[in-house]
Amino acid sequence: MAQSNRLPQQPHEVIDRGSPLNFTWNGKNLTGFTGDTIASALVANGVEVVSRSMKYHRPRGYITADFWDPNGFVQVGPEPNVRSGHRELSSGIAVDPQNVWPSLDYDVKAANGLVGRFLSAGFYYKTFMKPASLWPAFEKVLSTFAPGGTVDLEAPKDEFDKRYAHPDVLVAGGGPAGMAAAIAAAESGASVMLVEHEHRLGGHLCWGSDADVALAGELAAAAEAAGVEVLVNSTVTGRYEDNWIAVTQRSHPLATERLIKARAKVLVVAAGLIERPYVFAGNDKPGVMLSGAVRRLVNLYAAKPGERAVVFSANADGDATVADLERAGIEVASVVDARSGANLIEAHGGSKRVSSIEFADGSKVDADLLVVAAGWTAPTSLLNMAGDRPVYDESSARFFPQHAIDNVLTTGGLAGDGTRDELVEHGRATGRLAAERAAAVRHRLQAFTVQAAPVDGDEPAWADDARTPLGRDPHPALFQSTSTGTKSKAFVDFSEDISNKDLVAAAKEGYDSVELLKRYTTATMGPAQGKLETVNTVAVLADARGETIEEVGTTVWRPPYAPISLGGLAGRIFNPHRVSAIHEWHTSNGMVPIQAGAWERPDHYGDPAAEVRNTRENVGIIDVSPLGKLDLRGPDVPKLLNLLYTNKWSKLPIEGVRYGIMCADDGVVMDDGVTGHLGENHYLMTTTSSGAARVWEWIENWLQTERPDWQVHVTPVTTAYTSINVAGPKSRELMAQLTDIDLDPEAFPYMTLRQGTIAGIDDCIMWRIGFTGELSYELHVPAGHGLHVWETLMETGADLGIKPFGLEAQRIMRLEKGHFIVGQDTDGLTLAPTTGLEPLIKLDKDDFVGKAELAWAMNDRLDELPRLVAIQTTDPTIVPMEATQIVRAGTTEILGRITSSRMSPTLNRSVCLGQVASAMAAPGTELELVLIPDGRRVTATVMEHHAHFDPEGERLRA
Amino acid sequence: MPEHAAPAMVSPITTSYPSVAGSPLTLADESTLTKTLVRSDQAQFGLTFGHSRMEGDAIVAATRPDEWTILGAAEAVAAAEAAIDRGGFTSVIPWTHGRACFRLSGADASRMLEKVCGIDWSDHMTPDGAVVSASVALTTCDIIRNDIIRNDIAAGGAAGTPSYLLVMDRSFAQYLFDALIDAGQEFGIAVG
Repeated sequence: MAQSNRLPQQPHEVIDRGSPLNFTWNGKNLTGFTGDTIASALVANGVEVVSRSMKYHRPRGYITADFWDPNGFVQVGPEPNVRSGHRELSSGIAVDPQNVWPSLDYDVKAANGLVGRFLSAGFYYKTFMKPASLWPAFEKVLSTFAPGGTVDLEAPKDEFDKRYAHPDVLVAGGGPAGMAAAIAAAESGASVMLVEHEHRLGGHLCWGSDADVALAGELAAAAEAAGVEVLVNSTVTGRYEDNWIAVTQRSHPLATERLIKARAKVLVVAAGLIERPYVFAGNDKPGVMLSGAVRRLVNLYAAKPGERAVVFSANADGDATVADLERAGIEVASVVDARSGANLIEAHGGSKRVSSIEFADGSKVDADLLVVAAGWTAPTSLLNMAGDRPVYDESSARFFPQHAIDNVLTTGGLAGDGTRDELVEHGRATGRLAAERAAAVRHRLQAFTVQAAPVDGDEPAWADDARTPLGRDPHPALFQSTSTGTKSKAFVDFSEDISNKDLVAAAKEGYDSVELLKRYTTATMGPAQGKLETVNTVAVLADARGETIEEVGTTVWRPPYAPISLGGLAGRIFNPHRVSAIHEWHTSNGMVPIQAGAWERPDHYGDPAAEVRNTRENVGIIDVSPLGKLDLRGPDVPKLLNLLYTNKWSKLPIEGVRYGIMCADDGVVMDDGVTGHLGENHYLMTTTSSGAARVWEWIENWLQTERPDWQVHVTPVTTAYTSINVAGPKSRELMAQLTDIDLDPEAFPYMTLRQGTIAGIDDCIMWRIGFTGELSYELHVPAGHGLHVWETLMETGADLGIKPFGLEAQRIMRLEKGHFIVGQDTDGLTLAPTTGLEPLIKLDKDDFVGKAELAWAMNDRLDELPRLVAIQTTDPTIVPMEATQIVRAGTTEILGRITSSRMSPTLNRSVCLGQVASAMAAPGTELELVLIPDGRRVTATVMEHHAHFDPEGERLRA
Repeated sequence: MPEHAAPAMVSPITTSYPSVAGSPLTLADESTLTKTLVRSDQAQFGLTFGHSRMEGDAIVAATRPDEWTILGAAEAVAAAEAAIDRGGFTSVIPWTHGRACFRLSGADASRMLEKVCGIDWSDHMTPDGAVVSASVALTTCDIIRNDIIRNDIAAGGAAGTPSYLLVMDRSFAQYLFDALIDAGQEFGIAVG
């Protein structure tokens, strides 16, 4: 086929005949032109059947040949579900039909049509329900019938993007009224975003008369001159609170799709009208098209939709289609004027194409094209989303907005009918009104936004709506043919294969509310989301109930107006992650990373057990920069510490360091850490790495809401310091080479801090504490010098056998030492005294957070609470997985669980912490563990101390 | 103890991107600027929350209702610190190492920010000198509009080149720098 159905040049065609494009359809090589849609190129090449319907796999051709066409979904290369009526042709693409087997021409699944009476609406709800055990099998079979194309998981991923915008006025719809509104608003000083669903501005003017096309060009030029931001091939998909407007932009140069989150001061809805199909027997046969489809194909793309046409016209657009067809040289066999009462009965034909049309008067005309111009649906979606419930106007046979909404204005076909000039004038008036109201909103926003430019004068008065309303042209109420008794189906919803008989049957079953009917039959729930189907669905139901459309009412259109791809919703993928100042060194030195919250940290450098041994024998260093750090300043810091920690802080001397447990109001352990007294009214608090933000918020909450009179400034300084723990018996020897601080054990004892110079860097803090149980120094150095200090430590410690160690080695060493980790060894019910730290809970303090609960627990019910204990398996080689259940011997009664476990490289046996029932917590108690995953039972014993290693703490105090 | 020489402060930005002369949009790493945080119950620098101005050669920004951030070369920041009213309850906190700082400049800077941040960047809502705290590519930033006023334009009273300082937690800096470079491709962003 060499564009066999391409017409001679049309006056206002948008294709570039000098720019041919090759593509394939169903494996065949075809040619189109730049400017074609896939649909127009297929029609120009004589393609009649483009898809099979969802349920019955009936052959389908284009009916609207635009974005909303229910039959135009195709596979383009790896991309499924492409709307061929909208997607522009591009060079080299492979276009294929989807969900057909073995081929589009002969689809085995069309056999569904033979059992159609069993596949009526709601059949899913009636069948496959019992026996429930067979559902997985049913599901497998049913999934093969699911519509849609094929997703290629190996295909390169598309780029998606997101953007925020704050236009004064956002106009949805770039037809004559929308363009005029945008221009007028911009000329009135508003910033304006104009969003047009199609590929070019103009709306229906584009395929209209010479004057129509000229006006479209003039308005588009004026919009550009006025500084309007024009987004074509973009759709306003939703309107939310305070005019939060979602726009899907498909025309971005780099992104396949971009979601624009626009906060518009005023929204102008100029969405135009959508041509409505007519429900009659055989209305889904290829060759039955709406007038707009025919006019677009002929006038914009010079594509011939048929050889011999019958036109069923109820309005001027139908009449104009007759003129367009005749001008293009397509035979018009008959024009049937619905305004005079004529009606259709059935479109007859074979599986590939309509062949004749039967009328209510009994006549029949041979034709391969039936043009239907039966009326319009007002796409009031955005108005619905703004709270309006449009009402049906019987004389115009369509819905109109009901309520005036202050910052949502309507113009164009949604507001009424008129000549070109009347529509443009209404649009201009709407644009001016929108600009005036936007100015008032802008004044208000500016006035209460602290960083905004100052505003002069009072807020402008809210402009009254003084627009001259558009008229309403009478139109025949045409929804479904009055003729019945044919065998052919008359479709209401082409996407879902729902006929008028399906709807009537559902209504008879009791689903006679439009909302129930919709959900039961899935009518209006296909890809067009009711744009073509809603009003006909309501009309068929109204007929079935013997009521009017107004009495039946409509469903509510909710976002999105048009489907959005999941990629578009996700937008640009942001994955914030944090690294320390030493990260590059870790990466270059064999780090095996672990994600700890947002932090990327070294889990180990190849052999965590060796890292443990080296630290125990020589000296190791670990990057603990994520350790939460809060700078506390002010005279009331001790009060704050006394309030938030369970122990006492008033007498912590300068250069003193103290460990504390922080509880929530219910006495549950929330965080723990060490706080040092740096100087007068100046402290540095450390928190767990994962708890840093939570503790900061906790403190601010107390200071701002409960103790606003206290003078404390809390500043997060986690990343202001690079934190390095230097641990091991040779750590003092190492540090002595790097600092002027006196490291003598008596001058710098355990649980104290010093400030000074380390590796030439001033303003460093060094505290003698340790999580590993070894003699260790925790260094906090200004982060911009962190890498220098780390590298100097490694270089200086080379002779001492220094090695870096990662989180895993630290976890092992802390477990050997019996230190618990908040959130791992404790949970959302763990009260502080059950962790073995009762001495740190000072009930004799005036008050502290959690005191009441803790007093009750410690005085009255400590025996009822599970306790955290160290556990030793009888077989030392067994390392029970964390979360292993502890049970009463020989039973399934759960008495606790292992919270931490590792094989100790130091002790050559397993080491565990676990929570057990109080009655089982006494040292020496034998426990029974049910191992994961095989359920094998082994025994273990509760140990006397939490610490498996150096329980007296001689090493860390060395 | 052997002598150890103190090296210059190292920026958290370790990746290198090509620098393109005359690029319409630039992202410059200014993380090594000196930064001081002032917390106070006293009015400071005559600045209320949401505004900034030059104090000598340093930028002073009122980043919270009771908080001011001073940025600039070390000498300029030291000079600005002299203007701090240390009465009442006032804390002056070194902030240089905890925060990274980028400067995004160019005619398309606000359009670029629209891709990564939900703030209204129009001239009337965030004029030169405006200060906001917001999520930028899911990272919390203080953003200071600090337009670059070229002398010739300033003399004529015209606006300068839109420029924004983004100040964020140091640990997120490398991620954010990469994210901004990626998001700025459509504007031809280059490292300044």
